[in-house]
Amino acid sequence: MSQLAIQEKIREKAKELLSKKEVDLIIGFSNWTLPLRTTPVFIRTPEGTESLIWNSFCENNLATYIHKFSRFRVGIIVKGCDARSLTALSLEKRFNPERVFLIGVPCQRMVDRKKVTKAVKGEILRAEERGEEIIVEGEEFKTVLNKKDYLYPSCQVCTHRTPIQAHVLVDDPVEESPLVEIHPGVNQFEKKTFEERWRFFEKETSRCIRCYACREVCPMCYCTECFVDDYRPKWIGGGLQPQDLQFYHIVRAYHQTGRCSGCGACERACPMDIPLTYLTQKLNQDVKELFGFEVGLNSKTPPPLSTFEVDDKGDFIK
Amino acid sequence: MMRRLDKRDFETFLESVMEECDLYAPVSLTEGVSVFKKIDHPNEVNFSQLLTQKPAKEIFFPQSEPMFNYERRGGKIQITSNEEVKRERILLGARPCDIEAISLIEKVFMSEPYTDLYFLEKRRKTTLIGLGCNPPLSTCFCSSAGGDPFLRSGSDLFLVDLGDAYSVELLTEKGMVFSKNKFLREADPEDLRRIKELEDKAFEKVGFSIPMDGIEKRLDLMMESFFWDRVHEKCIGCRICTYLCPTCHCFDIVDEGDFARGQRMRNWDSCLSPLYSLETSGHNPRPTTRERTRQRLMHKFNYFPKIFNRVGCVGCGRCIQYCPVHFDIRQAIIWTSSKRPRKPKI
Amino acid sequence: MEKSWEPKILAFLCNWCSYAGADLAGTSRIQYPPNIRVIRVPCSGRINPLFILKALQSGIDGVLVSGCHPGDCHYLSGNYIGRRKFATLKRFLEYLGIEGGRVQFSWVSAAEGGKFSQMVHEITQEIKKLGPAKRFVKREDSRAIKFETQNSKDKTILK
Repeated sequence: MSQLAIQEKIREKAKELLSKKEVDLIIGFSNWTLPLRTTPVFIRTPEGTESLIWNSFCENNLATYIHKFSRFRVGIIVKGCDARSLTALSLEKRFNPERVFLIGVPCQRMVDRKKVTKAVKGEILRAEERGEEIIVEGEEFKTVLNKKDYLYPSCQVCTHRTPIQAHVLVDDPVEESPLVEIHPGVNQFEKKTFEERWRFFEKETSRCIRCYACREVCPMCYCTECFVDDYRPKWIGGGLQPQDLQFYHIVRAYHQTGRCSGCGACERACPMDIPLTYLTQKLNQDVKELFGFEVGLNSKTPPPLSTFEVDDKGDFIK
Repeated sequence: MMRRLDKRDFETFLESVMEECDLYAPVSLTEGVSVFKKIDHPNEVNFSQLLTQKPAKEIFFPQSEPMFNYERRGGKIQITSNEEVKRERILLGARPCDIEAISLIEKVFMSEPYTDLYFLEKRRKTTLIGLGCNPPLSTCFCSSAGGDPFLRSGSDLFLVDLGDAYSVELLTEKGMVFSKNKFLREADPEDLRRIKELEDKAFEKVGFSIPMDGIEKRLDLMMESFFWDRVHEKCIGCRICTYLCPTCHCFDIVDEGDFARGQRMRNWDSCLSPLYSLETSGHNPRPTTRERTRQRLMHKFNYFPKIFNRVGCVGCGRCIQYCPVHFDIRQAIIWTSSKRPRKPKI
Repeated sequence: MEKSWEPKILAFLCNWCSYAGADLAGTSRIQYPPNIRVIRVPCSGRINPLFILKALQSGIDGVLVSGCHPGDCHYLSGNYIGRRKFATLKRFLEYLGIEGGRVQFSWVSAAEGGKFSQMVHEITQEIKKLGPAKRFVKREDSRAIKFETQNSKDKTILK
């Protein structure tokens, strides 16, 4: 189905839910002021559903808003990764699943807007998606790009693009084959020596400005008292010492073990372009290999670090 | 006084300057990310991004600044304070919005009787070299915020990129020190005309699109408005807008160390963090993003103008570019200007 | 006096098995290198991965975590939960570039005094080969701070 047709279906379903008062609020995407970007919208009236859109720039993970709006009955537009995050959250009892309605959209993979911006010289003033192409226009240029070359790495490895957990799907399920087998960052990384790996990690995290955007966009980071604010014991300082930045990123990624759906929202939010998904993807790979677990596929399987099997792998223990 | 600096002399000019001063300029950390940093070599200077991610306020008000060190020696405690600035400094390549923002922050940090020594020392010893914006970005709205893509006020020297050379205007006493510099040649009479062309083009692009006039009065009536119930919805409460904002100036003072040695540091803080207003009792007067978003907009467009007679925003547009959920402060301002506060049309 | 570098190794031992095993090594007069410092925890499952990271950041050269054998945990399943944590943490740290030999895990029961001392020998040797911890250390000289009291007696405080 074309993106426009999917958009119509989303609007239809959202309108239906609001008209029948089955939900109080619909959380979806809409166009806003900048090209290549969409914004989350919160719609309360059937007429308001006309502003809902769907395209390859709907990159946010709307599951983060469940924490803020848990007292309403919400309908959320979800891609595969978003639905998995919500399943993980419902396992952790963060919201009442009976008060949430998922409108599932099988995802065609999202476009990496930062990569598109770097591909042209000059500011992009207009962008249009036409089939498999993206047409970007600036004051002095108009370029046609092949969408397939500009997808997010986390989308390229994704094998769960259909939100099977959703109450309704607005399109047929997509074929679940990844564009690349292993996340490009992880692949490169495993070939390096210990020294090289650390140098890379050190260099990339040195740009961090502790804005915590990665933490706030992540649906799984909902602790009211984050470890960075702990005082007794004090894990890390508040400044920009490189060791503190490294500690923060190691632990933030590690806290997602067995909970991360690989949506890539952290990497997309970072203003300093720190590649965060190479950390979380590695953890997801390990969890799959060690415990055969993938987040969000089954709403009954408990999170891997909260349970055990008697014959878990333990050959690294002497 | 006007001069001209050919681009082929740019690096040698900077080298001559670096002999006596520390030079701070935009440096690219990776493709698409640049910050203001002290440079060791002129070839590190990178003007390819119109606006750096972290604003120029960092030079005077660093994100993490040690205020003093303490150390136990011989049973006594020795304290070494860190506000002294040894060498003169030059800030090169700050855009007019960043420079205007510095003069805004000066009002906070340098007004009697509470003068911030750390800020003052750095400011006194720094010469500001501004750089005009040709062209500005579509997210820039400096002219609506009392500025201009070629605003000279605040700069000691002002550069305009003319293609093969920079035009250099020496504006203040600190700027006139450069009049003897051998790399600054006589200005070409054509330069003035070319500068005017660039200015007109830039100004046309930025325009006067955002109704900032009278926003203080409008917000006076809106403290308890339903408007805030909707404006905050998509905000996730990260700190990007405040950390990248050239005028935001909140900070937190922390001690780090142990009983033998340590440091007192001043770090940037953000009113959008839930912990910012959390009181020891557990009560939080700004418990949700509704109150915190309201606080941010009120501070910028109501409280700051009340105290300092100017809106607390310079229209650089960084918050619009980098917000992960595409909050657009221009839209929020436009909504306040409708005839009566109403539900935004979504 | 020039002293060659001796690694500082932190051991988290579970109270019921590994700590008792270490105790047994002591009462049996089994020698093991003095590079090890022990922190007793109720169970290996109590170990928060942040402890290990904080140790590495403070300048500790190696960390040993030891618990009861699977099936023998005093709290029934603590060590099983710990095993999963350790597996993911170890892989992640090696992926990041922290050498694999720095963080090690073992099952030592209360009767295995000999095994405990063997573990300490092994880990000390490996860390000696790897060298002092340089990555991720916050204050290089934070390991021991000397300060003179008014009596001019040297007092060394371990960090």
